[in-house]
Amino acid sequence: MARVNWTAEPWHESEMLECAMVVPETPNTSTFTFRAPSGAWFDYEPGQFITLDLPVPGGNVQRTYTISSSPSRPLSISLTVKAQSDSIGTRWMLDHLKPGMKIRAWGPAGIFSFRRHQADKYLFISAGSGITPMMSMTTWAWDSGEMPDITFVHSARRPSEIIFRERLEQFANRVPGLQLRFTVEKPDPFRAWNGYQGRLNQIMLGLMAPDYLEREVFCCGPEPFMASVREMLISLGYDMERYHQESFGLAVASEAEAPALDDVVLDDAARSEITFTASGVTQSCAETDTVLAVAKRAGLNIPSGCTFGLCGTCKVKKTAGEVHMVHNGGISDDDIEAGYILACCSNPMGKVSVEI
Amino acid sequence: MLNASEIRAELAARRKNYSLSRALYCDEGVYQADLEQIFYREWLFAVPAAELPKTGSFATLQVGAYPVILTRGSDGTIRAFHNVCRHRGQRLCSKASGTSPKLVCPYHQWTYELDGKLLYARDMQEDFDASAHGLKKVHCVDIGGMVFICLAEVPPPIADLAKTLGAYLAPSGIKTAKVAFQSTIVEKGNWKLVIENNRECYHCGGSHPSLCRTYSDNPRMTAMEGPDAASPDILAHWARCEAAGLPSRFINHPKMQWRLARIPLLNNAESYTMSTKAAVTGMRMGEMPFNDAGSLLFFHYPNTWNHFLADHAIVFRVLPLSATETQVTTTWLVPADAVEGKDYDLKTLTEVWEATNDEDRQVVEENQAGILSPAYEPGPYSTVQEEGVIQFVDWYCDTMSERLGDAPALAAE
Repeated sequence: MARVNWTAEPWHESEMLECAMVVPETPNTSTFTFRAPSGAWFDYEPGQFITLDLPVPGGNVQRTYTISSSPSRPLSISLTVKAQSDSIGTRWMLDHLKPGMKIRAWGPAGIFSFRRHQADKYLFISAGSGITPMMSMTTWAWDSGEMPDITFVHSARRPSEIIFRERLEQFANRVPGLQLRFTVEKPDPFRAWNGYQGRLNQIMLGLMAPDYLEREVFCCGPEPFMASVREMLISLGYDMERYHQESFGLAVASEAEAPALDDVVLDDAARSEITFTASGVTQSCAETDTVLAVAKRAGLNIPSGCTFGLCGTCKVKKTAGEVHMVHNGGISDDDIEAGYILACCSNPMGKVSVEI
Repeated sequence: MLNASEIRAELAARRKNYSLSRALYCDEGVYQADLEQIFYREWLFAVPAAELPKTGSFATLQVGAYPVILTRGSDGTIRAFHNVCRHRGQRLCSKASGTSPKLVCPYHQWTYELDGKLLYARDMQEDFDASAHGLKKVHCVDIGGMVFICLAEVPPPIADLAKTLGAYLAPSGIKTAKVAFQSTIVEKGNWKLVIENNRECYHCGGSHPSLCRTYSDNPRMTAMEGPDAASPDILAHWARCEAAGLPSRFINHPKMQWRLARIPLLNNAESYTMSTKAAVTGMRMGEMPFNDAGSLLFFHYPNTWNHFLADHAIVFRVLPLSATETQVTTTWLVPADAVEGKDYDLKTLTEVWEATNDEDRQVVEENQAGILSPAYEPGPYSTVQEEGVIQFVDWYCDTMSERLGDAPALAAE
């Protein structure tokens, strides 16, 4: 029996893409939808990217964009792009790319896809336009009818800059498994905001996804954002084998290209030593101990409260050595600069002296 | 201790243009009524915004029974809260000022965000609603770098003051200034005596030799009936300042609760210094166009008077501590990039007003000591020299009479 729809072959990069639709999403962000003039369909993994050859004045530039549409809707392919202030390629797209224009493209490629890491529960964490692969994967999950349990954490500057907010809410209104958790730097003027506010931190993460330890994590955003997510997860004891990331600055095509992450991972076996200078006590300890715990063991008192770097009660002066501190806002940058640490969330790395 | 109707009677019995009765300056009941009817209801000057320079900066003050804390949040906004933990009522912060990334109760470490939200309370039961236990807000508004608070549930309108003060202050750069020095003194006198003393210069010649090097004690300088009453030298000063973009003309609240006026200093003096020259050299406040712009005077009843000069500014906060004790905090502001020891010398900057404050303290304390004598009786103000005092006392008596309500009508029998 003849197939009704899929008589054509999948799209190949030898064919130029035709811009079919341009939809503004949020300020400086638009979705560009492309189709293959031959009628070819698009075959890729949700989360992958494509590279465009953009004819900007002064010569073509190549730019890589994560696909925001899902391969479950294969007749077209969409890229949702956000122009940063110094943007050239994306700026050109926003200003000049119109329906009917044809663009050379390569791909799709990339290893950042939840289809490569099947799990019962996922935690998607994104910031800014890092939301695009998450949108692709969520749409795939929806269209496949399987809709696994996804907690979708997204961080934006303002509520009005949350890309795909309406579409995600539409999904979440219809299935129990998709939980949306947005945090913004500041609300829009004259618009009520009931979501989270402020930079993503451990406490927020615990409230957004209390079972985060059980979830496969996918993270995409600017590198400092992803670094802070990794730091949070590592210090919370998350199994980093289950952490996957894509940077919207550097989309990764293969496992070999994936950057080595030089995060501090504390080692149980590594020995450290803390000298409490005011008391004249030196205590040997593990790198995974906190300064607070070691002080307690040594019979010394450091007043403390929350024990996770929020309330700041255990602030002490470090006079020598290095610690690894993952705090939750309980200490100011000025105090850190001046040598203070929060004893409850600081792990000694080698020999350390504190004024206690 | 007088009750409301007795206070009403004291107010009703006062002689126009005479000082107030002994009870109105000394009585505990009057003090409580002053707090309740005025200090808990009016906008009060709290701090210059410069006292809270960055995220996490805080300052505390005590208004009668209310401890209040002001913070600057990560969004740059200054907010005011009741300085009381929502757990068991501990005073949250006992320090006068400082910097802290969070507000943490020292009792059980309940931790609040700088915007007052309760972030964390350890080991509270499942049904505990943190969002219902944020710090209680106090109305707070930053007008061109002067932060006012109001404890009332519904504060009185402040839009007119905000507009006028904002425009007058803008060239003085208070928003971008930094605190060079602050002093807090206690004057053993009723708060009204402190304000009265500030509102006249009848006493200046006898009490303030260093201030009088630069500040004119001519009563027409500060207690003007309006633009027409100004002398030719003041008119000339205004014309010169306004041509240079400095709003200068005398402007006041219809009931004289506040007033702004830019007055010249004596003989083109530049600043309140012993040399009469600017204390901060090589730079000026904000957009001030010349050194001898005189002083922009601003008072707002019940608790502040201020001087904004070309090279620095001095802001004053008055808070009553008891019927016969008043705290006066003076803050010297200089341009943010002025460096102590290089662009200014602290002694030169502060010595005239340090001396003047101390002289005023003695004047007020002696005044209070005399009024405490049973032999004291109200004396007449000089309508030549003490117009400002008369305006203040009228404002006080009118406000109190209105708020304490009319005397109950006696039923005819």
